[in-house]
Parts: sequence; C-alpha cells; structure tokens
Amino acid sequence: MTERLWRILVESFPKILLPGLKMTLPLTVIAFAIAMVIATVVALIQFAHIRVLTQICRFYIWVIRGTPLLVQLFVVFYGLPNVGVRLDAFVAAVIVFSINEGAYAAETIRGALESVPAGQTEAGYCVGMSYTQIMWRIVLPQAMRTAFPSLSNGLIAMVKDTSLAANITVMEMFMATQRINARYYEPLALYLEVALIYLLFSTVLTYLQGIGERKLDSYGGRHARHA
Amino acid sequence: MLEVKHLSKSFDQLQVLQDVSLHVSRGDVTAIIGPSGGGKTTLLRCINFLEKADKGQLVFEGKTYDLESITRKDMAAIRLKTGFVFQSFNLFSNKTAIQNVMEGLVIARHMPKDAAREISMRALDQVGLRDRADHYPSQLSGGQQQRVAIARAVATSPEIIYFDEPTSALDPELIGEVLAVMRELAQSGMTMLVVTHEMRFARDVSTRTIFMENGSIVEQGDSRQLFSEPREQRTRDFLRTISAER
Repeated sequence: MTERLWRILVESFPKILLPGLKMTLPLTVIAFAIAMVIATVVALIQFAHIRVLTQICRFYIWVIRGTPLLVQLFVVFYGLPNVGVRLDAFVAAVIVFSINEGAYAAETIRGALESVPAGQTEAGYCVGMSYTQIMWRIVLPQAMRTAFPSLSNGLIAMVKDTSLAANITVMEMFMATQRINARYYEPLALYLEVALIYLLFSTVLTYLQGIGERKLDSYGGRHARHA
Repeated sequence: MLEVKHLSKSFDQLQVLQDVSLHVSRGDVTAIIGPSGGGKTTLLRCINFLEKADKGQLVFEGKTYDLESITRKDMAAIRLKTGFVFQSFNLFSNKTAIQNVMEGLVIARHMPKDAAREISMRALDQVGLRDRADHYPSQLSGGQQQRVAIARAVATSPEIIYFDEPTSALDPELIGEVLAVMRELAQSGMTMLVVTHEMRFARDVSTRTIFMENGSIVEQGDSRQLFSEPREQRTRDFLRTISAER
C-alpha cells in the first residue's frame, strides 16, 4: 500500500464515521423505533381478527413487501412533491424505512403471538382478566421474547439498508464515501473502508442482541437454575 | 347455587351436548365421569364461556343467563366468581408461581399488591408450594404446576371451581399430590365440579356423581349409591369396563 493511499484512508475515516454517527445511526434508531410501534399494532389487529382493519393491514403488508425499498424512497422523496408534499430528505427516509420495516416486523410479531399457547389466554379469562390485559401482560411479552432474534435481524439489516438513502440526498456514510471517492478516485480502498465501518456497526448490534437475549431469557428457560 | 338447563352444543354436524341439565348446591363436590368424547370437557367449557353453547341457560347465584346470548359483561362478572383448573395447567409462562396466583387479584380485581401477595402466599402454602413461589412454570414438575394452578383458582375465593381432568396430563407418580390437594379443598367446603377419570376420587371424595355418555347425562346422584348400585345399565357397563382395567 502506497503512502498516499494510506493517508487518504486515515483522513477519510472520521469523515465517513461522522456522518455515520450523525445520520446513519439516528436514521436507523428513529425509523426502527417507529417500525416497532407500527408492527406491534398491525400484528395485534390481525391477531384479534378485527375485520376491516385486518384487511387494511394485509393490504399494507402486501404493498410494502411487494415493492423495492429503493422505489419506495423515490416515490416519497421525488414523487410526492408532484402532489405538493415536499419532505426533507431525512424525514422522507425515516418515513420510508419505518413503514417498510414495520411491514416485515409485523409478520414476525404476528407469528410470535400465534406461538403463545391459546390455553394461557383462556386461563387469563378464567382468572377474570380482560382481553387487553391478557394481551398486554401475558401474550405480548412472550411473543416479543420469541420475536426478538428476528427483530434484531431486521435492525441489523436496516443499518445497512440506510445506505440506500444516499440516493435521496441523505448525507449518510455511503454518500460521504462517494464524495471522498470523487476527489481521490480510490474506489476499492474507500468502499472497502466504508464496508468495514458498516461491519463495525453490525458487530456492535450483534453483541447487543446477545446481551438482550440473555436478559430476556428469564422465564426459567434455557438458563434455568433448578433448586 | 349453580344450575345448567337444557344445554346443547354441536361442532359442525357433530352433536357434542344434548339437552344437559344439572344442579350444584353450595359445598357440593360433583364428579362428572364417563367415556372420552362424551362431552364432559365441552360441558365445563360452555359453562365458563370458553365455548359458545348453541342453546341452554345458566342459573348462577339466582340469576338466569341465556348461554347463547350472554353479554361480555355478564361473562366477566361470573368469571370473577368462578375458578377453572385445566388439564394442561395453562400457567402463564412469563410469570413466576406467585405472580401467576397474584395476577387475578391485582390485575383483574384491582387488589393492592401487598394484600394480594399475602393471599397468594397463603394459597401456595395450602397446596404445599410456598418454597416454590419464585419459580417459573418451566422450573416446576407437572404436579407442581397443577398445584400452582389450583392455588391460582383458590386465591380469588371463588364460589365454585371447575376442574377439567386435572390429573390426565400427569405422570402416574404425580397424580397423588394433586388429588391430595383437591381432597383437602373438598373437605374445606369448596364447591367443586370435577370432570375426572379418577374413579376413586369420584367415589370417595365427591358427594355427587354425574355419568355422561354421548353428550347427555345418563345418570346422576349420590356418589356412593351411583358406584355401588347404579340404576342404568349403561352406567353399570361403564363401571365394569373401568374396574376391569384396574
């Protein structure tokens, strides 16, 4: 490796990492949090078989899962101004990523809700609890535990997918790298460098997932201590 | 205190219950026996609204309810005064033993936590599991889980407790501990309606026995009498096959 290349890489590192911390990370965290709310609501509606709302939810999931994320970004950022809706690039990205992830996560959570034995719901009724109380205190907590690994997967995928936001002018890590590359023209080294930073982010999240799973594993499951 | 009148229920074409009527007085321990598929479990589930009956009435504490059109509010009100013990325990997996027992008091009955904890501890003590209060269901044996489930039902001081084959899912060596708890409960004066295959429990512990077959009640009466001198031929046949198995 030449000295010039090395210098470029070292100089670029903070210039890539900073947009990562200022854009990629907030975009991911905010969008994922909203996605979880959407997903939980959509899953609970379907689980409760609320008639019309369930159909709306199925339609939402069908459309979002059936169209590319990149196209969704373009529709919202470049398309909506045609009908007078002009959004800030970051806001547009948050909206698209949360709606997109919400559709996938809703299916994960719905499956997890269905995996909780129906007998526990019946037992809840028999001790006098209401449907809402049973969902909130018995079924949902267990479902979230089951869904946790898949949801973590979704989070890690989203960190990487935020690079697509470069296409709608969000100044995140990938966009920053492209800018630097335009100046020095070292595509292999620079794109590998940003890849490495994405890997770093994912690794931290994977580590956090492990901690989370151990924390959640408190129903006397795998790590149960028998007296 | 509890009366079921002309209860009928079918799943698709299959008639599971046909014009079933029965009566339970305070303090009664009533056993429901009979061959599998006879509708015993469905009967209990209909009375506690886990299944919707096609026809029939429930008289509970002097009030009559139509089972096919009972409101959610009435269901909830009646469930606050009844307990249910399932064949498969159905403890809340995400709650410890004591939390399982407290849930119905704190959440459904809005009792202060301290009072609920005290009552729950006493209930667990009653079933001999005070020292397992902080264990999760997955850390308990089947027999222990069922005893927690009984404590969960007892803690709410119900007017009546329904038992749906409470020992059928248990290994033979664990059946005794559950039956012992039920026997004590019966002696303490609790009103119980018990679907069971344990003939000895039906004969020795229950005061009344109902024999059901093919969705209807064949014979009901004083337990000792029903077992020693059954009136109906079908009851006699059933009791003979049961004792032949022993």
